[in-house]
Amino acid sequence: MAANAKGLAWIALPVAAALVTLLARFAGANATTAGFAYLLLVLGLATWGGWAVGAAASLVAMACFNFFFLPPYGTLTIQDPSNWVALITFLVASTVASRLVATARRRAEEAQSRRREVEILYDLCFGLFAASQRPGILGEAAARTLQAIGAESGGLYLAGEEAPVTTLGGDSEVDRNLLQRALETREIAEAGGTAYLPLHVGGTVNGVLVARGRLAPRTVLESAGRLLALAIERERLLGEAAHLEAVRESDTLKTSLLRAVSHDLRTPLTAMRLEIESLEGRLANQPDALASLGGLSLEQERLSRRIDNLLSLARLEAGVARPRPEPVPPSSLFRAARENLSLILAGRPVEVRVERSCPDTWADPSLALETLVNLLENAARAAPPERPLELAAGRDPEDRERIRLEVLDRGPGLPPGVKRMLQGTRDLRRNADAAAGDSASGGLGLQIARGLAEANGGSLALLDRPGGGTIARLILPAAPEPEEVEG
Amino acid sequence: MTRGTPLILVVDDDSSIRQTLSRELAAAGYDTVAAADGLEGKARFEESRPDLVITDLAMPRADGLAVITAVRRIDRTPVIVLSVRGEEEDKVRALDRGADDYVTKPFSLRELLARVRTQIRRAEAGPAVEVLRFPGLEIDRARRTVVRDGQDVRLTPTELAILELLAGHAGRPVTLRQIIAKVWKGAPATTVDTVRVHVGSLRRKLEPDPANPRYIGTEPWVGYRFLAELVE
Repeated sequence: MAANAKGLAWIALPVAAALVTLLARFAGANATTAGFAYLLLVLGLATWGGWAVGAAASLVAMACFNFFFLPPYGTLTIQDPSNWVALITFLVASTVASRLVATARRRAEEAQSRRREVEILYDLCFGLFAASQRPGILGEAAARTLQAIGAESGGLYLAGEEAPVTTLGGDSEVDRNLLQRALETREIAEAGGTAYLPLHVGGTVNGVLVARGRLAPRTVLESAGRLLALAIERERLLGEAAHLEAVRESDTLKTSLLRAVSHDLRTPLTAMRLEIESLEGRLANQPDALASLGGLSLEQERLSRRIDNLLSLARLEAGVARPRPEPVPPSSLFRAARENLSLILAGRPVEVRVERSCPDTWADPSLALETLVNLLENAARAAPPERPLELAAGRDPEDRERIRLEVLDRGPGLPPGVKRMLQGTRDLRRNADAAAGDSASGGLGLQIARGLAEANGGSLALLDRPGGGTIARLILPAAPEPEEVEG
Repeated sequence: MTRGTPLILVVDDDSSIRQTLSRELAAAGYDTVAAADGLEGKARFEESRPDLVITDLAMPRADGLAVITAVRRIDRTPVIVLSVRGEEEDKVRALDRGADDYVTKPFSLRELLARVRTQIRRAEAGPAVEVLRFPGLEIDRARRTVVRDGQDVRLTPTELAILELLAGHAGRPVTLRQIIAKVWKGAPATTVDTVRVHVGSLRRKLEPDPANPRYIGTEPWVGYRFLAELVE
């Protein structure tokens, strides 16, 4: 359009010059009037065709002015020196005026084109963000962008994905090298009428828009690229938010399910325990019945512990309960473990040794207690009732930042099966299945203990005790030492 | 106390637990009244004004926390909650809401009866005495002195305040939040770590062997419990 106007202005130049000359001659205009008429001609042509046409018009107008209106007429010579001044003034005035007019015109054109660019980007912006709040609009966003920048065909390639998310105007060849270059340099790459537009936001490139056709100016391409990049980012965030919401809902569901199961299992166990104790009180003078009740009590306690174990493991596996470590003194763990096993340990000697300067462990109190209870239960079952069980705690000599909690017994030592299992795979469920047939060995309880110990940031080892028996060694991190305070 | 026999309100939605507890508490010499959920529990509390409340936490209609709130709105009647393992937050919330102690299901009758006796004794005791005496330990609140095994123990004001709070609740758990509220008057910068640091230093000065505490026991998740019993 602009080029056509310029061409026409060049053609119009001689015609207009001739017309002005003829009109001025015909009207018998003097030199001053003719000079103004030529000036008008120059301004008009400069406005129409730009600075070059304006400059040419100035020269032509000056020649005509001299030839037809300055004496001696009909020649390009000048007699009167004052006419030299008139001629030069005309030339300077027409050149400067044509230049000003042309500049003003160019500015107007630029403003016009900027306005169009802003319109394109505004429409795109509106299309990408305001028109739709639903997720899953990437294809639509890419198509809108391609359309907005004047592409006839193209496609959106997300970073790290081979195939395009969407294509417009059919699938056509894509230069993978240029695509890669655009991704890496974050600069628009161009070849054979195809632009590779990197889409980057906040320092990361999330894709490349390939566009073919008569494309909008580079500044528009860059801005459109940024808008599309933002749309992609928003899409990603929406997706993540939806995922998080789903995870949260599933966690809430799991938590309430586990709470319900926990409540429903523990309530009858509590009722059983209370009934048993109540019966014990009423049958105090019937030794046979008391012995049976004692057995029932032990079984109830064991069932209760296994349910605790399974619920803890279920919580950890479901990811609804992460271990919450806090400083836990070994002595309080030992005391709680003995209270938990009061029936099994009834009448059995238990020796407790906690090193004088032993710091607290840094552990989840529930998990640490459960681990210890399992180990102590195992030891109580393995060792003869008259031999004392020992509980010992102190700093790990191999790593002063760790605490060793040990359960020592004088039982027959570890069955080879249990040793093998504890050294083997860490898949608890598989091992639990394998151990299920061997429950007398306490394998399942140990397996669970190891799982709980590891969840607590510790480890569990079973060692043969010199002189016979077993050492179950639970290693837990030491709590940071509190600093001295005043006040 | 106007009644000869203490009256205990048992609130639990499980009828079997409710019945057994009522029967055993009666056998131990207490009068009982029972309620099957929190709403009924609140009503029973208001009409019979028992000397102690034992309440489950998870119940339909109003839960145990609602019962505690209702009781605390009226008076300082001791409340023991029946909590469940793995629901430690509920337990701490109940203690912070004003419960005095807890047992964890499945609990033993002996354990519960021991807690009941401690609470009833505490409720029957007169106004706070000036000198708290424990085996091997004497805390004089008026003179602000602590003597252990005949030796003066020099404590900072903060340590003394913590000790007085714990010893004043001997046998009962005190939550970290309660310690922050009472000792630091709830100062916003005080964290549970601050409390642990001061308790650690208190233990080093007070306990003959801090690794095997005789007086200040750690109550996992909750806070601390003063282990020694008051000497009459």
